[in-house]
Amino acid sequence: MLTKDLVAASSKPLLLSILAGGESYGYEIIQKVRELSGGQIEWSDGMLYPVLHRLERDGLIDSEWKEADTGRQRKYYFISSDGRKVLKTERQQWLTVHNSLCKLWKIKPVSI
Amino acid sequence: MENQTRFDLNAAIENWRNELAAQPNLAPDDRRELETHLRDAIAGFQQRGLNDEESFWLARRRVGQPQQLGEEFVKADPAKVWRERVFWMVLAVLIVNFWLILITCIPLHGWTNGFWGLLSGYAYMLLCYLPILALAIIVAKGQLNERCDTLAAVIHSRWRFVTIGIFLIVGIYGTPAVIQYFNSPVGRPITSYILLNYFSYFGWPLMLLLLAAWLMPTKGRNAPKRA
Repeated sequence: MLTKDLVAASSKPLLLSILAGGESYGYEIIQKVRELSGGQIEWSDGMLYPVLHRLERDGLIDSEWKEADTGRQRKYYFISSDGRKVLKTERQQWLTVHNSLCKLWKIKPVSI
Repeated sequence: MENQTRFDLNAAIENWRNELAAQPNLAPDDRRELETHLRDAIAGFQQRGLNDEESFWLARRRVGQPQQLGEEFVKADPAKVWRERVFWMVLAVLIVNFWLILITCIPLHGWTNGFWGLLSGYAYMLLCYLPILALAIIVAKGQLNERCDTLAAVIHSRWRFVTIGIFLIVGIYGTPAVIQYFNSPVGRPITSYILLNYFSYFGWPLMLLLLAAWLMPTKGRNAPKRA
């Protein structure tokens, strides 16, 4: 399991990356994160929304209520153009950290 | 024989919804979103073969405690709750203003003297305080959030809110102004009359309406473009 601090720090790039792949809603995002991390990143379901709302307030994502297949209304989130720019910066920063650690641990780094 | 009561999923969700509604830091939109999540999580567990009761309790646990949720949501945007509270206050002032103007249109001719005059005076005062009385009853019954949700569903977009508001202002405030103009003994052009009385008839309610529209808890301001 990841530490609380690391989970919090990685939430922004993770959410932006998921939404860069297409619009999504809270439950689906949680499932995706669980699946991607093999259950290592465990987000508390209800706590995801304050993070999404913060990103929305910062103009990095937007949302709209739409009718789902079940007939119920569901709030979908999607990335904004500002969000894509921030994601690009976040990606570079995380890969810099990743590559530095790879060099230290003698693992093959990835291209930024 | 075992006497077991059947689990009612809808009733359980309704109870959970009421618990959420008791959290002052959760806006109607937040509660709606959390409920959608809870229902999705329940459906997910049901697909895995769990029964209604197990699915509900697991989903409820996953979503989190209502009080804790309220605390986390307010941390994300501390001003949001106050913005929304001020919006409802401004809206309440506007509704009371509408109501007071409406009841001044009640004709009291011939009911101003004696016992009936006194009675009509009391009835008039009661009418004046009726919105405050209604609000107190709603609060006492714990239905404030429910009523706000209903009203929010009617005025869900800022444009709709402003359009309805302008129609009401023109109708409610404008009609007495026009009647007063035609009853006025001094002949004056209607344009100068409207300009002179603009602030007393339309200006203040219009300002309150625009303030409420600005504070309205919907999206629309600086909405980012879809990338």
